[in-house]
Amino acid sequence: MKDKFDHLDKLESQSVFIIREAYSQYRDVALLWSIGKDSTCLLWLVRKAFFGKIPFPVLHIDTTHKFKEIYDFREKYAKEWDLNLVIAKNEDALARGVGPDTGKFECCNELKTVALKQAIAEYGYKALYLGIRRDEHGIRAKERVFSPRDEDFEWDYKNQPPELWDQYKTKAAEEEHIRVHPILGWREIDIWEYTRRENIPVNSLYFAQDQKRFRSIGCETCCGPVDSQADSIDKIIEELKITKISERSGRAQDKESDYMMQKLRSLGYM
Amino acid sequence: MSTDSRTVIVGLDGVPFGMLKKFGETGVMPNTHEIIKNGYFSKLRSSIPEISSVAWSSIITGANAAEHGIFGFIDTHPGTYSMRFPNYTDVKVKPFWEVARGESVIVNVPATYPVRPMNGVHVAGFVAIDFNKSVYPSQLVPLLKDMDYRLDVDASKAHTSMDDFLEDVDKTLDARIAAYRYLWKNQDWQNFMLIFTGTDRLMHFLWCAYADENHKYHELFVDHFRKIDVVIGEIVADLNENDTLLILSDHGFEGLETEFYVNRLLIEKGLLQFNPGTDPNLSNIAYGSKAFALDPARIFINQKGKYPEGSVAPEDRESVITELTAVFSEFEINGKKAIKHIYRKEDVYSGPYIDEGADLILIAESGINLKGAMGAKQMTGKGPFTGKHTLDDAFLLINKKIDAGQLPPTPSVIDAGQYIKSKVS
Repeated sequence: MKDKFDHLDKLESQSVFIIREAYSQYRDVALLWSIGKDSTCLLWLVRKAFFGKIPFPVLHIDTTHKFKEIYDFREKYAKEWDLNLVIAKNEDALARGVGPDTGKFECCNELKTVALKQAIAEYGYKALYLGIRRDEHGIRAKERVFSPRDEDFEWDYKNQPPELWDQYKTKAAEEEHIRVHPILGWREIDIWEYTRRENIPVNSLYFAQDQKRFRSIGCETCCGPVDSQADSIDKIIEELKITKISERSGRAQDKESDYMMQKLRSLGYM
Repeated sequence: MSTDSRTVIVGLDGVPFGMLKKFGETGVMPNTHEIIKNGYFSKLRSSIPEISSVAWSSIITGANAAEHGIFGFIDTHPGTYSMRFPNYTDVKVKPFWEVARGESVIVNVPATYPVRPMNGVHVAGFVAIDFNKSVYPSQLVPLLKDMDYRLDVDASKAHTSMDDFLEDVDKTLDARIAAYRYLWKNQDWQNFMLIFTGTDRLMHFLWCAYADENHKYHELFVDHFRKIDVVIGEIVADLNENDTLLILSDHGFEGLETEFYVNRLLIEKGLLQFNPGTDPNLSNIAYGSKAFALDPARIFINQKGKYPEGSVAPEDRESVITELTAVFSEFEINGKKAIKHIYRKEDVYSGPYIDEGADLILIAESGINLKGAMGAKQMTGKGPFTGKHTLDDAFLLINKKIDAGQLPPTPSVIDAGQYIKSKVS
């Protein structure tokens, strides 16, 4: 046993508290698992919160364009951790041929957002656990731990409940579902330090091969690797202490900017 | 509907003075021809640079870029090389409909995305992405979708199939007209602004079809203008005596002979470098670079304190400007000078946001299209485009004679914007 309640212990216990609190409020919940490092870390915390067996479904929104390593990881650990894995796809859009080549904005919108809406409608989830973090992306800095979405998925970020002294507003209006963000306050480096401490399995895409590694993973078509020598968790942690490159720099731009770029390019700009 | 005098503005994106005149005289646009004969018809100077987002922002605000804050389709986040796409939320001066008497209907004005609440109806134009953020009030979204309303032509189709592109141009125009007809009749309005942007898309790819009467798409090109003239005829028939109709374009157009990739010249002259082993793009600009260009040909000096790898000391700015001016003014394509005019920041901009503007803005000689194109392998080339924007020959047409002093002898888009503001307020 360690003799000190350190930074990671504190993060872990806060997250476990939020996970249990949300489950006691909603019951009809699911964990959204993108199979990246953050949602896998969240999944680990949820397993801890419920002593190894997660009492609700684990939902994977499958665009069908994920890296092979992601599918392999999903199959392996869904079995090993005895997950109630639900895989959701927007079959209509896929049948229509929607994909990265037909336009990235539409692709993301149909295969991620609409697919999730369909899954929520089909299974009637009242709350979803998501592994987003405040330091990932500008707009996420404004997020709350308990974050309501209306039926159109709109997030009214100007009308959010205050969350002072860890008092969370967990009640939702009928038409809303709640997004629960148990690791909102974790930083990228916290994720890696916790992953190292807990021996959480890591997708091989995160480790450098030929001087390149992925810092953020998703669809194969829209993720690029960053230059890196880090082929182990220790080296990743060292790299994060000195890097000036942003975590999502390998990702295609935000959906709108990406689409704007495409439109401008088609008219000869850029 | 109010009996007060109303203002109607019809925009024909990119249509040059000469083309409108010709289509009037040759019977393609008879309704427009009537207005030309009896009203005010003049060339209009575009914004510098001559692109839609900057020019339309001037038309709706009556202000120049250093006041309204829109300098191009692309810019950098302050203090960085990271790219941003300025939009309607960056426009610092109120558009006329936010200072106008009564209600306004605004359809398809470029650079007005995302929409915000206003007194009337606003449907955003290029570059509008998300339908839900393009329509105010949102109750109109399902209605417009039922009309198969399209925010913009999908210009990427022109790169693969001209027939698909033309079909899209046509459907987009039909839907735009359906939306205008619905709003004209069913909405209360004092001011109505409707912009046709398919004209610009057509001219980019098919100027060649306009120029050549035997071109297989010539008739389709001309038909597009016939359809627009029918709308103009409808509008004229519905106007009251006191109403004002303005028809205008934001820039002109001409045939494109060569594209000139400005950043490539900077690279070859040793004025722009990228970090070793990285792709030639904005975020990889290396220390030691003196300047870089953003589309179409806005030259920014890589000044110390302004950019992370800034290497030109403020006291050296003047000498770098002299060096750049020499490089650009001497540059020749096939033995002919490529650059017609080099504007300095102070020549074109005046206002609180002047620091965000480029240090130099280049205007090309006829037939040459300027692009930033950091990744270009050669200095010049030609893509799928056969037409390009021009600065001096947009047009302004008003359905009545103008009192002396209301507009200068050769008005600019800014003058047109101020005239509109005076009409509606």
